[in-house]
Amino acid sequence: MEKITFENLQETLYHEKLENGLDVYVLPKRGFSKTYVTFTTKYGSIDSVFVPRGKKDMIQVPDGIAHFLEHKMFEKEEGDVFQKFGENGASANAFTSYTRTSYLFSTTEKLYENSKVLLDFVQQPYFTEETVEKEKGIIGQEITMYEDNPDWRLYMGTIQNLYQEHPIHIDILGTEESIDKITADHLYECYETFYHPSNMVFFAIGAVDPEEMIDFVKKDQSAKTFSEPEEVVRDKHEEPAAAGVTTNRINMDVTKPKFSFGMKCNRTDVNGEELLRQELAVGLAMDILFGRSSDFYSKAYAEGWIDESYGYEFNLEKSFGFAVINSDTEHADKLEQLIRTTIESAAGDWALREEDLERARKKRIGQYMRALNSIEYIANQFTHYLFNEMNLFDILPVLEQLDGNDLKEAFGTIADPKGHTVYQITPAGQAN
Amino acid sequence: MFRKTVLQEGVTLYVRNTKQFKTINLSIKFKSKLDVEQNANRAVLANVMQDSNAVYRSQSEFQKALDALYGTVYYTDVAKRGDVHILSLNTECVNDEYLKEQGVFEEVLNLMRVVMFEPNFENDTFVDEVVQREKRVVRERIRSVYDDKTRYAQKRMLELMRPDQPASISAYGNESAVEQITADSLTAAYNQMLETDEVDIYVVGDINEDELITTISSLVDLKGRKIERTSEELAVPDVKEVRHILEKQDMKQGKLQVGYQTPITFLHPDFTKMQVANGVLGGFAHSKLFMNVREKESMAYYVNSAYASHYGIIYVLAGIDAEQEEKAVKLIEEQLEALRNGDVSELEMNQTVALLSNSIRSSFDSAKGQIEVYDQYKQLDEEFTADNLISKWEAVTKEDIIEMASNITMELVYLLSGREATE
Repeated sequence: MEKITFENLQETLYHEKLENGLDVYVLPKRGFSKTYVTFTTKYGSIDSVFVPRGKKDMIQVPDGIAHFLEHKMFEKEEGDVFQKFGENGASANAFTSYTRTSYLFSTTEKLYENSKVLLDFVQQPYFTEETVEKEKGIIGQEITMYEDNPDWRLYMGTIQNLYQEHPIHIDILGTEESIDKITADHLYECYETFYHPSNMVFFAIGAVDPEEMIDFVKKDQSAKTFSEPEEVVRDKHEEPAAAGVTTNRINMDVTKPKFSFGMKCNRTDVNGEELLRQELAVGLAMDILFGRSSDFYSKAYAEGWIDESYGYEFNLEKSFGFAVINSDTEHADKLEQLIRTTIESAAGDWALREEDLERARKKRIGQYMRALNSIEYIANQFTHYLFNEMNLFDILPVLEQLDGNDLKEAFGTIADPKGHTVYQITPAGQAN
Repeated sequence: MFRKTVLQEGVTLYVRNTKQFKTINLSIKFKSKLDVEQNANRAVLANVMQDSNAVYRSQSEFQKALDALYGTVYYTDVAKRGDVHILSLNTECVNDEYLKEQGVFEEVLNLMRVVMFEPNFENDTFVDEVVQREKRVVRERIRSVYDDKTRYAQKRMLELMRPDQPASISAYGNESAVEQITADSLTAAYNQMLETDEVDIYVVGDINEDELITTISSLVDLKGRKIERTSEELAVPDVKEVRHILEKQDMKQGKLQVGYQTPITFLHPDFTKMQVANGVLGGFAHSKLFMNVREKESMAYYVNSAYASHYGIIYVLAGIDAEQEEKAVKLIEEQLEALRNGDVSELEMNQTVALLSNSIRSSFDSAKGQIEVYDQYKQLDEEFTADNLISKWEAVTKEDIIEMASNITMELVYLLSGREATE
């Protein structure tokens, strides 16, 4: 067992890589009454082209299958897994993102009984044609729920504008047509390829004893049989630097037009500390240019071009990265113009002031410290960072090193107008 | 769990010293009687008090100062509970222990005093330009409920069930009430709030309780005030026939809301029994609704029940194919009927109590959760603890569930969908 101490954060992380390749992490948190446990595979919606375990050739499976598989893991021959968690007082859930599928529970009692349920249900697949067919109705309703959600449509629409080939332009849930093609055999094939322990991480945080928990997982895993660890061969995601579509709009039954500005990142072939530096540097640059204390924000808010729905974010992982700025607005043209001139002013010879950088840095430090109060945040983000070969607990030292040139250089990766797009939702129907 | 200090009559400080968090949370709650005009004023007031003050005259100056204090978060919000309106000033800052400089919390305390007592006034009233701008923002917030179909369906259900009553009155007021606000009316609302509201102040974090009580007593310059809460008996409709309302928007899914009435409210001695009954029916992923409507019939992705205990309302919400409405309502009613008939296993009871317990214990794992849960439950018991509540849930029997379920009466079926109204 490896013990890693982060003194300035007063946190200690315990880690062990088991023989079957599973990474186990435990982080005890003082004063907490609950424990939050996640079991995550490095497998998400973008992994629909891959070489199945034991085979030689790439295959393509229907879109939305990672999410479908996540749903089906909960159903077993003996019934629904939620029943078992409920019996043990645990609240369980799961989610699928572009790059990972995570199963989790939180509990204030029977930690090991619940951990056993988690490990067993994720490691014992049970799919039949009948149960697969039945799930299509439920996921069909989930898809229509998102289709009626304007903020989700705005976000997805922006990404779909930006990306032409990379599978991130496909909805995580797939479509009603694509999920209709899914069979039990597909699910087994994906499961065998991506749910090997060597492709997974187990993370326990909160009221937990590290040694006991690591021992527990080790014993559980050594009692089960697994094939040899094998590197998963996935499709390389090629993507041109330019945005696929520069502008697009749809109509929905909403009261106020919705506007989104997307910026594609042209340097995504990075990982580890380099990725972390780039992510943090772009984040700081965005805070300075588009945050609540920026000139941009003051002007746009005072003019009524943005409202409380305003937000911005930057996401970066290996193979894709993008920034999004969005707001409900009646003045889309003026808002777009102001965003573009703000980007231009920073893309060229940015007169970045030292005091702005220091303030943005302090703000991020505070944000990070606040986030560390949440055990859910730590478990989910730690795993996300780990899959990109970064460490969540390196954020502080990297933040402290960044200087003005880092910010200018990093912002340059999203500043090219060819990589920009606008997506809008216009009121139609009853609201109009 | 909190140490209570009465600063003045009607002004109370609750502090909790804990090393659990890396930040210190402070929340000041102004409580008044729910009223559409007043709610509108306070919704705008909350925004104006977040925007600027006498020291930082603009939003960007203020925000810069907060950012420089290691991203101290300051935000205001308005909410309602029962017939009480709550305006909160909230702040969270990093504990000095984790920073390279000292004194952040002292500065934040001082900022909160400024926010409360030194507003951005010109000639003794709020600046008109700011007031007009924030009126627009609040109006748009009210209007935007329409865009979130799940929230909109919920809002419509409450309006149809309890028109002009606290259950359906928004903490933001309504658009026309916001429209009528002036800088003068807002200033009057502000003064009234400081003079007559019940004020509860909460602090949670790694602090020295004695020192903090002294500091806050000297910072908070509020006079004593008499707090009289009279709750009126509200008319509950006599259900002769279940009302059935279909509304249409351009959308794909059907948003079903089934509204029920119950005489068991938050202050009723059987409140905890009803919490368990609601949990068995549809509070969790093991509950009857989830297992039967979703897992067995594949009719919905989400289907659950909620207990609005302050209003004597229980409701079931589900996202369904609009064509399946009748079948869904029938299935939902069957689950409730099962409760009435005592078709409830020991396992279901145990699961529900275990998950209710997990959820209340878990909510104490955030400072905000500690403040909000205590602020609500202290009305029942000043010495409130999670264990106390849990022991009450544990004592609930199957007979209790049968009795509770027979006290739940269907009142309204509401469906929002793209389907044409045919009835």
